[in-house]
Amino acid sequence: MLKLIVTRLLQGVVVLLVVSALTFWLLAAAGGDVLTSLSADPMISRTALAELRRVYGLDDPLAVRYLRWLADLARGRLGYSFYFHTPVLTIIVPRLLRTLVLAALALGMAWGVALTLGALAARRPRSWLDRLCGAVVLLTASLPRIVLALAALALAARTNLFTVGGGAGGDLAGARNPLSVLVPAFVLAVPLVALFLAQTREGLGAALNEDFVRVARAKGLPERTVVLRHALRAALNPLISIFGYSFGSVVSGSIIVEVILGWPGLGQLSVAAVVNRDVALLMGVVLITATAVLAGNLLADVLLRLNDPRLRGGRPTARAVNSAA
Amino acid sequence: MSAALTHTGATAHADDDAPPPPRRRRLRRRARLLVGLSVILSFYLVALCADFLAPYDYRAQSRGEPGAPPSPIHFRDAGGNWHARPFVYARRLTDPLARTYAEDAMRAYPLALFPRGYPYRLFGLVPTSRHLFGVQAESQPTSQQGAAASATESAPRVYLLGTDASGRDRLSRLLRATRFSLLVGPLGTLLAAALGVLVGCVAGYAGRTADAVLMRAADAMMALPELLLILAARAAFPLQLGPAQAAVLLVAIFTAIGWAEMARVTRGLVLALRQREFVLAAVGLGLSQSRILFRHILPNAARPLVVQVSLLLPAFLLAETALSYLGVGVQEPEASWGNMLIDANDTTRLAAQPFVLLTPALAIFVFVLGVRLVSDGLRRAD
Repeated sequence: MLKLIVTRLLQGVVVLLVVSALTFWLLAAAGGDVLTSLSADPMISRTALAELRRVYGLDDPLAVRYLRWLADLARGRLGYSFYFHTPVLTIIVPRLLRTLVLAALALGMAWGVALTLGALAARRPRSWLDRLCGAVVLLTASLPRIVLALAALALAARTNLFTVGGGAGGDLAGARNPLSVLVPAFVLAVPLVALFLAQTREGLGAALNEDFVRVARAKGLPERTVVLRHALRAALNPLISIFGYSFGSVVSGSIIVEVILGWPGLGQLSVAAVVNRDVALLMGVVLITATAVLAGNLLADVLLRLNDPRLRGGRPTARAVNSAA
Repeated sequence: MSAALTHTGATAHADDDAPPPPRRRRLRRRARLLVGLSVILSFYLVALCADFLAPYDYRAQSRGEPGAPPSPIHFRDAGGNWHARPFVYARRLTDPLARTYAEDAMRAYPLALFPRGYPYRLFGLVPTSRHLFGVQAESQPTSQQGAAASATESAPRVYLLGTDASGRDRLSRLLRATRFSLLVGPLGTLLAAALGVLVGCVAGYAGRTADAVLMRAADAMMALPELLLILAARAAFPLQLGPAQAAVLLVAIFTAIGWAEMARVTRGLVLALRQREFVLAAVGLGLSQSRILFRHILPNAARPLVVQVSLLLPAFLLAETALSYLGVGVQEPEASWGNMLIDANDTTRLAAQPFVLLTPALAIFVFVLGVRLVSDGLRRAD
């Protein structure tokens, strides 16, 4: 187990290096930097601009700038955001916390619905509950977050049920109405329900047909124990893989949800970084996001081994179910 | 040769060993497929006939009517008389700040089928200026006064979905938007799928080094969430782009990003299939590698690959919408579902007419539902 974690951590560092170098190069290839917009100002001479670039080190070769960024990173700094006029780290940390709150709530909601409904439906195949389960999967899979978020915005604009921009500007405690937090989390959670519920229903349904479940029932165990302790445990592997994989989906989805529902988190920040060409900020966001996704995958791999002793034999991992989008 | 592939990852289904489903269930599955396909086809039909269905040019601005609500359609005039033919009244902006409009009931302007409008080419071929509906050029006075007062005024325009902030017809824009939105996402998906299948075949068939390099590259691609990756790639290009450039750029970005998942699925299928007897037989017969790959292996991997494509499609369609909504996709005056949704940021208007402003969102929902029905039907059919 320890070997796995160390190997994966090292691999993760390599992937992060590749991803960050690639992003750095892409953004440099774009040409233009924070100072480009200043060049339109007639009050600022070309020589002044060149001087500014020299001071900020923007005229160095690409490799030098990237190495400087890496060196900064090694000292625990993420550079300076020219757009917000603050070190990147001080902007990112509170935003990251907000996004984490949203993501945790969304994941909790989605798993809650998926496990409850999935277990109930799997126990009674072809009942009305099972049909409902199928309908919920189809509906949640086709309700994109952008559509739901705008519908929530319309609801907020029409009624006074909740405020958009839950606790905007202030801290989370500033959001007095819990709905202001729950609604964005709900919007974020809906497409995840499709992903989780389909897998729960299918996996549990298959597991409940297995012989060991019949044995457990024959022993006279209560149905609750049969489903939760025996069948669910057997159906858990793909669910764990999806859990790790869903980190990326949550981060991707939070971009649009945060922008529309005014949640000042990481997603909103990444859009601001792109629109304002803030290279350092975008690098920071990319780095943190990629770390979160890799951490999710690692967590899933560790959990898989904890759940399934067959995987502990040092064999390469049964790769995460990646086809479920 | 046509061995059914039930054990190859993407299609693996829980009740493989169950007896074939009863007829009713099979019919239901087939119905899903058909409904989904007809939804998708009708969207493309609308895109094809957008110019004919739209009453006005999607770029034409009516300066006097910014942010107008839908035109009320009347059957009964101010004098209390009923008309078989629906008509509209001219409207006047009474409060430019609150955007309230008052109707002028002096003259009624009947709606007409197939009136003349702006010229276009039907299906890109037949030059014509007929549109499905519009306001008839001649008006009917509803009173003596009306006949005298406004005989010289030109007919008002009818806006079934209101106008946007620049006074453009939102219905015409919505119809036009299907073209951009249904082109960019799906084309990007197809190109990404083609590239991914190619890479997957090479990785699965060519052997160790190529396999390792390509799959690690795919891993790196998949380490970042899709939309963030697309945003980062988009940031590398000028923010302001013309519609054609934006379309090409978005398709290129989708292709560059979408291949990874496709490649991984294809590789898995190729690895599984090359162990099968019919492939071994083909190898034994001395057929060339490319022939084995394209004539024996790929046709048998078709179903799961198509399912994978149908899973990728909504992601890219929505990515285009999101980018356009954020202002870095296709920009005005070109219309796309995404940039039409920018109108919804006007919350006072959104509160007043939520359904009117969210019609593009409804279109997105219905289209994605159609695609999901198809992928669902494909995954479970026969």
